[in-house]
Amino acid sequence: MSKADRISGIFWFVFAVIVSIESRRLGMGTLHRPGPGFLFFWAGILLAIMSLVILMRAWITQKEAGAGGFIFGGQNVWKIVMVLVSVFLYALLMEALGFIVVTLLLFLFLLGIVEKKGWVLTIFTSLAVTVAAYLIFETALQSQLPKGLLRFLRF
Amino acid sequence: MDVLGNILFGFSVALQPTNLFYCFVGTLIGTLVGVLPGLGPAAAIALLLPSTFHASPVSATIMLAGIYYGAMYGGSTTSILVNIPGEAASVVTCIDGHKMALKGRAGPALGIAAFGSFIAGTFGVIALTITGPLLSGVALRFGPPEYFSMMIVGITVLTYLSSGSMIKSLMMATVGLILGGVGMDAISGKYRFTYGMQILADGVGLVPVVMGLFGISEVLENLETEIKRDIVAAKFKNLFPNLQDWKDSAGPIIRGTFLGFFMGLVPGGGAIIASFASYAIEKKVAKHPEEFGHGAIQGVAGPEAANNSAASGNFIPLLTLGIPCNAVMAILLGALMIHGLQPGPLLMTKAPDLFWGTIVSMYIGNAMLLVLNLPLIGLWVKVLKVPYYLLYPLILLFCLIGAYSVGNNAGDVVLMLIFGIVGYLMKKFQFDGAPLILAVVLGPMLEEAFRQSLMLSKGDFTIFVSRPLSLSFLIVAFLLLVVPIITQRKKLSTLKE
Repeated sequence: MSKADRISGIFWFVFAVIVSIESRRLGMGTLHRPGPGFLFFWAGILLAIMSLVILMRAWITQKEAGAGGFIFGGQNVWKIVMVLVSVFLYALLMEALGFIVVTLLLFLFLLGIVEKKGWVLTIFTSLAVTVAAYLIFETALQSQLPKGLLRFLRF
Repeated sequence: MDVLGNILFGFSVALQPTNLFYCFVGTLIGTLVGVLPGLGPAAAIALLLPSTFHASPVSATIMLAGIYYGAMYGGSTTSILVNIPGEAASVVTCIDGHKMALKGRAGPALGIAAFGSFIAGTFGVIALTITGPLLSGVALRFGPPEYFSMMIVGITVLTYLSSGSMIKSLMMATVGLILGGVGMDAISGKYRFTYGMQILADGVGLVPVVMGLFGISEVLENLETEIKRDIVAAKFKNLFPNLQDWKDSAGPIIRGTFLGFFMGLVPGGGAIIASFASYAIEKKVAKHPEEFGHGAIQGVAGPEAANNSAASGNFIPLLTLGIPCNAVMAILLGALMIHGLQPGPLLMTKAPDLFWGTIVSMYIGNAMLLVLNLPLIGLWVKVLKVPYYLLYPLILLFCLIGAYSVGNNAGDVVLMLIFGIVGYLMKKFQFDGAPLILAVVLGPMLEEAFRQSLMLSKGDFTIFVSRPLSLSFLIVAFLLLVVPIITQRKKLSTLKE
């Protein structure tokens, strides 16, 4: 995992440095009265040191064993990307379109396009899930899901 | 303290129809979650947390606790029948449980797992009843320095025991500490790391983080590699283990129960390690260790008892000290705080109905599980057959709804999805999520205790080492950090020779 460790080591090191700089800006306070940035400054320093250890280790093992392969070897990367895009769109559109519309669209997309199931199954399942989820969360648990486009229906 | 009186009071709370209902729902959902691979108890509790906002704190805690120990039961079913552990604590059960199923002894395997769990779970609850008040009494004398040092021990133990690299776990704990500090600083009133984003003003919500790290990321990971399932089609009529099975299992169940309970008590220890340790012990003391790995009933009875009593033991540090010892307990702690309760030594006196009601509900829940699990195994097997292309959109939907309903805010949903990607990458880069969650929850408490201690001592750092209790906690933490480094060095040097 030396390649992966190099990537994550660099990432956390940069993250830690940013945290420490930001914490100093927030105010360190005094030892008698530690300020809002005090603990986070030292947490950042600690994290930076540990990421350097990870980096060093990765560097040493690489010398000994040669570079490891890349970590995203799975064949379904494309599927993951599509699922991620659809759920992000769900989050961004849920308040504008409303729960019922986005949920229906999400399931039509996931079952019909990502999973390539037959249209009868896709449409039937999507409708059933949407209705069931609405009944459970809105009617039974009173979750106050966004109404969006369908707000005129007042149900 | 009058233990009997407290237990009777607990029964009067737990037997109220509403609480019975929540207990039933909790154990049922827990078993379901335990059965379904790709959905662990941590994710399930996070998913259902928002739906408990309408219930009373007592009912909510009873249900969430039920999900936790219910999942311990359910996980064994999938381990035995499909060789897929429904959750991590049942990994060991696969070894001999599935072999038993392949030999046509699925019934007794499932039976002994359920009975072993029941016996151990019940013992764990009784021990919880007795030790809870004692520990609370000790903890009442804790000041901020003791709390600070104890939380440090909690975090170190979890990193010490977590899977994979210890330094990576420590890094995750540090990241969690930083994440826990996002939002308004309670002492100075300054906003930290919010960058003007309204959504971060109250801090990073626990629910979006947990759902992202444990729910969404698990779906993403499972999408990458399709789960293979081959369910044992063999019919199992007789679920009851025979006399010989009982004779073989009695020892392992008793040993597993005690082992699990004490492992559960240690912050960071828990069901997973308890089950592995029990398996190792049973293999050592067995008359025929060669049977292990080929369907030895001891290899099912011991670990199943251990993981269940560990689950009960886990509640002790949470309810008496306010220290969660694993990710699930961290979420429960968050849940209690959302309901306006501060877990800790005062919980027992301030909310006795919650404390004793929850404990007693576990006795009832354990009995319910026994009734639920044995006759319903056929149903659980059917649930297992739900194809993943249907299951993952449903899990995603639960996460989306759950994250939204915490604060009726789409921003939380986006936050959860971001943490989903972070969690997925963490799995890829082999970073463990549990220390992060623990630190997110403990972070604000840790900081408060730290700053209060320093104010108390007027800036003198020796306050953490001049008080004997605090010092001993810190020594434990230090040893936990140093010992692995030394043993690793030794291993390396012997390897080089």
